[in-house]
Amino acid sequence: MSRRLGIIGAIIRKDLVAFTRDRFYVFITVFGLIIYIAMYWFLPNSVDETIEAGIYWQGGSPQVLSSGDGLEFITFDTPEALEAAVDGSGDESVPIGLDFPNGFVESVRSGRPTTVRVLLTTDVPDEYRGAMTSFVRELAFLVAGTELPVTQLDTTEVILGEDRAGDQVSLREKMGPMFVFFVLLIETFALATLVATEIQARTVTAVLATPTRLSDFLAAKAIIGTVLAFGEALLLVTLIGVLGTSPLVLIITLLLGALLVTGFGLIAGSTGKDFIGIVFWSMVFMIPLAIPSFAVLFPGSAADWVRVLPSYGLIDSIVRATAYGDGLVELSGPLLLLSGWCVIAFTGGLFALRRKVASL
Amino acid sequence: MTEPAIRVEGLRYAYGTAVAVDDVSFSVAPGEILGFLGPNGAGKSTTIKMMTGLLDPQAGTISVLGMTMPSEKETIQAQIGVCFEEKNLYLNMTGRENLVFFARLFGIKRIDPEALLRRVDLLERADDRAADYSKGMRQRLMVARSLVNEPRVLFLDEPTDGLDPVSSLAIRRIIQEEADRGAAVVLTTHDMLEADKLSDRVAFIHEGRILAIDAPETLKLAHGERSVRIRSRNGPEIEEVVIPLDGHDAEDQIRRAVGVEGLMTIHTEEATLEDIFIEFAGRGLR
Repeated sequence: MSRRLGIIGAIIRKDLVAFTRDRFYVFITVFGLIIYIAMYWFLPNSVDETIEAGIYWQGGSPQVLSSGDGLEFITFDTPEALEAAVDGSGDESVPIGLDFPNGFVESVRSGRPTTVRVLLTTDVPDEYRGAMTSFVRELAFLVAGTELPVTQLDTTEVILGEDRAGDQVSLREKMGPMFVFFVLLIETFALATLVATEIQARTVTAVLATPTRLSDFLAAKAIIGTVLAFGEALLLVTLIGVLGTSPLVLIITLLLGALLVTGFGLIAGSTGKDFIGIVFWSMVFMIPLAIPSFAVLFPGSAADWVRVLPSYGLIDSIVRATAYGDGLVELSGPLLLLSGWCVIAFTGGLFALRRKVASL
Repeated sequence: MTEPAIRVEGLRYAYGTAVAVDDVSFSVAPGEILGFLGPNGAGKSTTIKMMTGLLDPQAGTISVLGMTMPSEKETIQAQIGVCFEEKNLYLNMTGRENLVFFARLFGIKRIDPEALLRRVDLLERADDRAADYSKGMRQRLMVARSLVNEPRVLFLDEPTDGLDPVSSLAIRRIIQEEADRGAAVVLTTHDMLEADKLSDRVAFIHEGRILAIDAPETLKLAHGERSVRIRSRNGPEIEEVVIPLDGHDAEDQIRRAVGVEGLMTIHTEEATLEDIFIEFAGRGLR
């Protein structure tokens, strides 16, 4: 047993030397960390929940259009100025504009038909359009001094889970898991290169002509890949200050994530015949694995097929642990899914490497 | 009688339908150098892979130092040294680090890399990365690496291929020293002169089969022709006679030929290993 550990330790030490002496590995590792940490701290940490709307109302905006409750009105002197602000060609910019016609109050009070133009930019969500239309109708009833045609229903607001009103998940919080995941992916590439170099240079043959077993070699590669990926990801979450939120959950999640990318790194390294081959196979894995991290940017947007991707459990767990403070119990589902994918990726990686080495 | 260091019987290996090694049998005694000669694709490397535990034989038996391969692979591998044809060194490590790393794989905690590096004339470059070594230096480091565990059996695959004469000579000297120490050496080479000079016996392998195995001198005596070529000046003409040594009156013919006036040169000629290989295989070694 101690002999096996000695051999595995020797290979790991040798790989660490190889890793630290390769300028490319060091560059992508350090550069990735610095860039992601810098980007994280530069991203906004709060969400502005106020909706800005431009108003044209002849003679200045009336008292009923005072800002508040998440709405802020900016008054424009002409309909043209309002339109320019909405389409982005004016000095000021607003996503929504309400162009009230001249004589709006008189028309409403006398019951004559009148039209209010609601100006919207293309990226305004549907729900905002509906809200603005309802707002104008309510305003019309208010101006007319009459009741709404139906009695307002009583509603009770029930927030399931933590109420994030006024404390929405910021872009920084959303991007954090993505950065962590990208750091792990970089290590996929680094490990793939380490493995492929051994295969291409046939150094693995020299190693296996000694009392080293193939399982020793595989174990060493798996350990070095996992340690490098885990270490770097842990360093990142520490430096961006999210480790403290749920340290145990995050450490378990990152460890599983490191195992996952190591498995894919072994597959890519065993499959790629040269540097271009490694890049190709790394990309083949990286692109689908990265999809769930983009889904985080748009909550609720993850389709069913995204939810079964190997990295979904990883991203989902990081997001829920860091942004919502979920614990091991709440995250048991995604972590179990992630563990399953780890077993598959790792088994696949070991199989691919074993097959490749046997063919040399 | 000394127990062979290597005994191979009825070895067979096929890659799919292509038979690489077919019914190969031979043995190598301790301190003996066996030259393994054959063209590319003859089955030399596959045979060496099986003997070094990198490939499991599909049929036949391999015994190394009285142990069976592959069932006692690790114990055998601890006592063999392999120098591969590919320069499979860790190029981003120094010469010293390469040796120390491989020593650790053999479980050797205390190694004197300087002594090995001195032996292959690389001591002054011990702390340079292998990537900065010349081809000859890398090959010498490969040989040094194969010796870190003081192997009792040494497998050397084309150890002097493409090297300058000085590096080749240094490597040949080490091979001979290892054999003198008592190591059994299996040497694969394309260089007939090297095989002739170094090997106690040579094995011709072609299309996966051993065609002949014997001492170079015995093979040369048994196959090919030996002759004496005598050139002499007769007035303005230069005359040349070739006297086959296998003829019954060869001695008388030589005596007569050297007794003439104007004798210029006398050359003895014999078949080379390459000639004999062609006689067996119907083709050359390259």
